[in-house]
This record gives sequence, C-alpha cells and structure tokens, in this order.
Amino acid sequence: MRYPLIVLILALTALAGGFAFVEWSKGGSGAGLYSRHWSPEAVQGYWDPATFYQSPDSVQGVFKGEECVQCHEAVTPGIVADWRNSRHAKAGERVWCSGCHGDDHQRLHLPTPAVCGGCHGKQHGEFKAEADFGFPSHVLAMDRALSAPHFVDKPKAEVQSCVQCHSVATKCDSCHTRHRFDAAEARRPEACITCHSGPPHPDDETYFASAHGRLYRAEGDQWDWSKPLVKGNYKVPTCAYCHMEGGRHQVANKSLWKFGLLEVNPHTAANKALRRDWVGLCGDCHEAEKARQWLSDLDRERKQAWKMLNEAEAILKGLRTEDLLFPAPEERPAYPLEQRPRAHIGFYEGQASAFYNVSAVERDYFEMWYFDSLGAYKAAAHGDWARISKGHKGMAASLEKIRQQAGSLRDLKIVEQKAGIEASTEGLWQRGAYTDYNRDQN
Amino acid sequence: MRLIAFLFLLALLPLRAEEPVPPGPFTDAECVACHRKWDPMLIETLRTGPHGPESGVVCSDCHGERHGDADVKARQDEVCTGCHGGPVSHSHATSKHGVISHLNRHDEAGRKPLRPGNYRAPGCAYCHLHDKDHGDTMAGDDPLPRLSICGGCHSPRYARMQLEAGRRLVEIAELKTAEALALIDGAPDADCEELQRLKERVEDHARNVRLGAGHQSPDYQWWHGQPALDGDLIRIRDRIATARRRGRVSTKTTGK
Repeated sequence: MRYPLIVLILALTALAGGFAFVEWSKGGSGAGLYSRHWSPEAVQGYWDPATFYQSPDSVQGVFKGEECVQCHEAVTPGIVADWRNSRHAKAGERVWCSGCHGDDHQRLHLPTPAVCGGCHGKQHGEFKAEADFGFPSHVLAMDRALSAPHFVDKPKAEVQSCVQCHSVATKCDSCHTRHRFDAAEARRPEACITCHSGPPHPDDETYFASAHGRLYRAEGDQWDWSKPLVKGNYKVPTCAYCHMEGGRHQVANKSLWKFGLLEVNPHTAANKALRRDWVGLCGDCHEAEKARQWLSDLDRERKQAWKMLNEAEAILKGLRTEDLLFPAPEERPAYPLEQRPRAHIGFYEGQASAFYNVSAVERDYFEMWYFDSLGAYKAAAHGDWARISKGHKGMAASLEKIRQQAGSLRDLKIVEQKAGIEASTEGLWQRGAYTDYNRDQN
Repeated sequence: MRLIAFLFLLALLPLRAEEPVPPGPFTDAECVACHRKWDPMLIETLRTGPHGPESGVVCSDCHGERHGDADVKARQDEVCTGCHGGPVSHSHATSKHGVISHLNRHDEAGRKPLRPGNYRAPGCAYCHLHDKDHGDTMAGDDPLPRLSICGGCHSPRYARMQLEAGRRLVEIAELKTAEALALIDGAPDADCEELQRLKERVEDHARNVRLGAGHQSPDYQWWHGQPALDGDLIRIRDRIATARRRGRVSTKTTGK
C-alpha cells in the first residue's frame, strides 16, 4: 500500500517541479522558454508591447483626445489623417487616441490585442481561442519565435527580423494597419503577404499564380471589400476567405497538414472532420466531389514529398551514427544554448533551427525540407500547379546531392583511415568576423 | 497657415501669367531650360543625382512629354519599377508600406504633393524624391532626412529606434560578408568558379538585408538575407575544408 503512495507523491512532486522550472525559466530579462539567456533590444518594445514597451517621457501632461489630435496634426500629420478616415473617428462612436494609448503622455502604452478586445470582444475571443488548435498559429506566433533556439543563439540585432512578423500575436495592426484599422484592407490578400512570402511560405506567389489569384489580380480592385467574407460576396476566395472563414479570427482551426512542416496522418477522425469543413467551404462555389479530389491530390503531393524527405533524413541520421558529419558537432562553435553542439535532424530534434552552425549536408537537408518541400506544399494547397513540380524537382535534386555528399563523406573517411589521418576542419568553423562577434558579444 | 499659402500662390500668379505654358511635347533640354528658371534647386539636385545627364534618364521617362499630369504620373511606383525591378521593388511591394500604398493607389493616385499627411504610406518617390528632391533623398547614411521623412507618421523615438535597428541589422550582414570574403581570400583556389559564384551570392544576400532594412521588409531582412548568408558561409567553409582534407590525404599517400 505504501509503495503506490510513494510513487504518486514522487510523480506529483516531479510534475510540480517541472511546472515550476518552466515558470522559472520564463522569468528572465527576455521572454519565452529561454528568457534567462537573453535581453531584448530597445526596439523590441514596439513588436511585443505587452512585455517590453516603455513609455517615452519626453512630453509631460494628461491630455484629452482633441488636444492629442491638435498637437499631432502638426507633429505626425500622417497618422492623424489616417485616423480621421477611420471608423474610430466617425461621429457618434468616436474612439480618441487616449482610448487605446492612455491619456498620460509619460505613461502611454501601445494597444495590445487585449486593448482592442475591450471593444472588439468577439474577434479577440476568437483570436485567443486559436491557441487551442496548437501550432501553426497566429496567437502563439510570438511565443514560437522567442522560444526558438536561434532566437537565443544569434545576435539580438539580427533576430529582430523574426519578431516583426511574429508580432501578429502581440498587436492587431499586422493585418489592420494603423491608424485606419480597416477590416476591408485585412480582407485583401496583400494584407498577408508581408509575412506570408519568401522561400518557406510562398503563399503570395502560389496564390497569385493560381486561378483564384489571377482572377483577383484582374478584377479585385473593382470589388466591394466592405462586404463580409461569406458565400456569394466574392467571385474568388482570398487568404482570409478560406483561412478565416466568415471573418472568424482563427487561422489554425482547419490546418490539415500543419503548415507542411510535419508528416501527419490524414486519416484520423479529427483530420477527416477538418476535411469535411474544407469540402464545405470549397462548396461555396465548387462541387463537393471536385473539392475532395483536390484534397486527395494534396495528400498525394505530401506523400511523395515525405517519401523523399524521410529518405534524406535517414541518410543524415546514418551519417551521424557513423560519425561522418563534417565538421563533427564538437568541431562547431559553441552557442549560448549549446555549449556542446549536436546535430539536430528531423522535426522533433529542432530541424527548424538547423540552418546555421551545421555541416553542408545538413544545411542542404534544411533547404530541401524548409524551402523545396514547403514551397511545393503551398503550391498544391493554393492550386499553383507549375510550382508543385518546381518544388518536387528541387527536392529530387537536393536528395540526389545529399546522396552524393554522403557517398563522398564515406569515401573520404575510408582513404583517410587508410592513410592514418583524422578528419579535421583545423578550426575553420571557429573563427571569422561574425563568428567571433557572436561568441564575444552575444 | 493656409491663408498665407493662398496669398503666396496669388502672388505667384502674375509670374505664371507672363509665360503661358505651351502644351508640348517637350524635349529634355526644353524641360531643363525652363524649369531651371522656376526651381533651380530641383534642376541642381537632378544634375548631381543618380538620374543626372550621364545616367541617360530624361525627364519624359518619368513625367511623360507633356504638361498636365506630368507630376501625377511621376509619383506612381510603376514609373520607378520599370527600371528598378527585382529585389529592389519586390522588397518594397511586400512591405507594409508597399502593400498599403498599393491598396490605396486608386484613391490617392499621386495627385497630391509628396508631403506628410497626403499619403497613407510612402511609395518610391515619397522617400527617394522627397518634396521635389530630384537626387536621391535616401542616398548616403545620414539619419536626418530619414528621421524627418519617417516623422511625418511615426514618433521621433520610433523612427530613431527603427533606423538604429536597421543599421545594426546591416552591420551583422556586413560581418557575415567579411567572414565569407576572408575565407574565400584565404583559399588557395580563391579564383575558382564555385567560390566566385558563392562570393556573388553572399553579396546579393547582404544587399537583400540592406533592402529589407531600408524598405522594412522582414522577408528580405530574413529569408532572402540573414539565413541565406548563413547557408553560403557553410558552403564556403565546406568547400575549403573538404579540399584541405583531400589535400592532406594526397600529400600523405603520394608524399607530395
């Protein structure tokens, strides 16, 4: 009788200890899981205001809305003009500057989603509830960025680029740009492309090349964007029409393939329910059978992609087991989070941060996984048929290159062993202007 | 203030009346000869700027050959992107400034002068040809014109911090470039095709970081910039270190 009780007590203590450790690790000068390892740049307050913003103390006084406008008309006329054209400035429901920023100029704040949620409760509630669906996500995006190893490992001046997009979790103006905050603007696909572009997520490129995107480009300027995103209002869907169906402020709730990052089982009950939602949505314009066909085309694309990715991953893990990676992890420079670097291969080992301080063959796999594969996935999901084959050709070429590199690493090791030589980088990975700076300054 | 401006314009009217403007078309020399009288500073900044006589760019390339909507025409981004395409225009087009000015292009249509409060977000000319400057207002590293232009919408502290953050971001890219070039220069076969190709790529990525910082495009700062530099640094090192490994083997086995 006593033993189960001891086990229970130990388990509960361990659990409490685990929670306490996570809380403790979030209590440093930075934020996120590794907050004790870094301090923010001053500018980060503008991207993550709830955590880091500090009010300027240059102007003293408590002001009424009219006074703010009067002064800022001269100081920053652009934002005043923008506000005047916004719904916030409409008579009857006027929201003055102080409504979002406070009225004491020495204790100003930047509006966080919670501040906007004070009036826009429905949207804010939906936005917060997005966390229930896990990653990928808008509401969890800042947490994701700050808890990535490379955010800690790299100079803070460098990774400020990351938080600009990941601030979609911490501010509403990523989509509803200030100080117009226009719903009509956020309905248009361009509202998303500042972040949803580039090699790992060419959402802009693949959407604009699709039949939907081509029609939008040709005619979209003439449409009435004040209409809600529901059946019959738009000739083709935009990003938000599908991903924020009906204007619901959640993008993660219909994620079938987890952004393409992860090999998922498409046949689970939960995934099947998601599919029914998608088929229903496509059904606003298309026949259900056609929609099901597109989804199975997407599954087929993913199956082929993961076949190649898994093959490449197996080659890399083989190289690691045989100690053939060059440079070996111990020859790579130490970073704040890894005093003894190791090879991170595959999603669950932290593949998303395996783009620096790795060997050439690992970097090739990173690009195959993050650029070629995700590009093909986005193309398949958005209906950019030419881009699918471009992504798959890229993956096939990368896989072939990885095979060849594995072959040369093996051959080289054999001749070295015959000649009695140890593989060495002679410290080549340890020195350099950037490497030295990061070691000494970060 | 408006009254003073109005009186000032009234005072200018007789001057205008003296020389009625013919409809055109005008040659480059005609434009310059006449506008030198009206606005000598404009012509001076044009002459000494990147679109000066040696560039081969003529007034009509941006303004068309006739009066009327010559100014409106030249305020459109498309006038610039015809020549300045690729990453230069794409980094702006995908930035929030680019997106906002694109979505508002029909409402604003370049009808107002390029001054604070007249546009929701800056297009090309707003920053680079600010307030009739015909050089490049953004040439050089001087923060002052930038602080003043950004200050039309952003608080002085915000503008200063963003500029500072951009400068530091570019410095990081310069450190990576210096690291890459030092590695290549130290290689025995520095002139080989592969290393020279990698050198060009590194310079392209560093340029993307500068464009990303200047145009406020996170995508150019990051995916087209910093991690791309990391990747080519790895490839340069791999190329050099692997050649050395092979060299050691061949020295040992052949004795040379």
